[in-house]
Amino acid sequence: MAQATGSGAGQRGLSGGPERLPQRMHHYCHKEVIKGMKNEVAFLWNRFTMREALLLGFCATFIVLTKATLRMKLGISGHSMFFLLFFLLLARGIVPKTGAATLVALLAGGISIALGLAHKGPVIMLNFLLPALVLDFAGIFLPQMTSRHLLCLLIGGIAAASKGVSSAVVELIAGAPMKIVIQAAAIEGAGGVIFGMLGALPVPSIIRKLRTNRLIPSPGDK
Amino acid sequence: MKRTRFSESDYACQYRAVDSMIHRLPAGCKMLLSTVLSVVILVVREPVPLLLATALCFLYYFLARLTLGDLWRDIRFFMIQFCVLLSLFLYQYGYPAGVWPGVRTSLQIMLFFIPGIVFLRTTQVSSMMKGLRRILPYRIMFLLFTSLRFVPFFAREIQEIAMAQRLRGARLSAWDIYRPIFWGDLFSCIIIPMIVRALKTADEASLSAQSRGMGAYPDRTYYDIRELEGLIARSRGEESSDRGGENSPEMDRESDLNR
Repeated sequence: MAQATGSGAGQRGLSGGPERLPQRMHHYCHKEVIKGMKNEVAFLWNRFTMREALLLGFCATFIVLTKATLRMKLGISGHSMFFLLFFLLLARGIVPKTGAATLVALLAGGISIALGLAHKGPVIMLNFLLPALVLDFAGIFLPQMTSRHLLCLLIGGIAAASKGVSSAVVELIAGAPMKIVIQAAAIEGAGGVIFGMLGALPVPSIIRKLRTNRLIPSPGDK
Repeated sequence: MKRTRFSESDYACQYRAVDSMIHRLPAGCKMLLSTVLSVVILVVREPVPLLLATALCFLYYFLARLTLGDLWRDIRFFMIQFCVLLSLFLYQYGYPAGVWPGVRTSLQIMLFFIPGIVFLRTTQVSSMMKGLRRILPYRIMFLLFTSLRFVPFFAREIQEIAMAQRLRGARLSAWDIYRPIFWGDLFSCIIIPMIVRALKTADEASLSAQSRGMGAYPDRTYYDIRELEGLIARSRGEESSDRGGENSPEMDRESDLNR
């Protein structure tokens, strides 16, 4: 895995040929790019290539950027779920591998903490991680979820509902009665579900558009 | 600008560059202290211990030389939660019976986050990362740092794309963003070009990192200044012992002072 990674650039050369490098940079949408991507070596967790890992990192960056832009501007509970779910689903669509959404969530949580954007302190990790875990779990059984509108909406809504869970965990530890914890989680989760579903709505069309332009591999590409 | 006790930072949990004993504590110590305080806050149930825990929490906060304005910035998010929980308790248990459990739970939740907030407000990213380096694998750290590095890059890119699209006639003014009818423009004119830009940047950055041998070994080889200083000190020590009693000028000066 890691030992072989050093030859990653070399392998690109073998697949595309060193003389193809400038062409690769200029004709980004060429089919060779997708073929070349298949030959890249795993960089992280024996699963993601460096390109994929960086792309997921950029998705995390976008989550943080949108979160920072929309801070307290709307004042509606759960509005942060809109861009969180949008980028998590997009990441899962661009890199269709189990763990992609979780990696994005981990990185987004890390960046938020590092930049001081986490108003709940380090517990913000839970807010990012729970929806991502739901998406990754759903992705195992429904690999086409990011290209189907209905599936995307459904999974997005379920993932966004986990917003209530993270607040419920703290309330439960604080000793609040179960009934009140459930009610508070339902109030918190309801806003999250609406915004999460709205965020999930445009993902399939964007994924399809990117696939049509051969910017990301489609499921049929070997 | 003069800093008063009411002056506040730009946003909640922003790092405060002041000198305090909490700021001077190592990141690991602060993390441990924050965890202990959070646990203590969650464990207490009676009014007097809760009052003590609250006092301890605020003492920790103000020892870090944070202002009342900062405190308001940090805890105002919890006010909505406080109101929701209190109204739920009142609905459940009625007027006098529901007040104390409602206030206690809401207060505990708010106080639970304060030590973490102090950690974020008093710890610089560099020291946080230094602490994380011992826990996280370097590949994750590389990704984290790269993503952090690209935050300003993509912020600038978004601005440039938005400006270019506005010049082409896209309805992307600050006012239009609040009107759902123009959200289609937002997606097709900003989000999609941004994703294409991210795909291209990821491709270039990965190619660049791989050509430099990034990820070639399971462990990272990096320049450790402390190790290097240790090596220099050891080699100097060996040198002086080889000379056998011949002291360096600094050592001579030190022995003169001792005398």
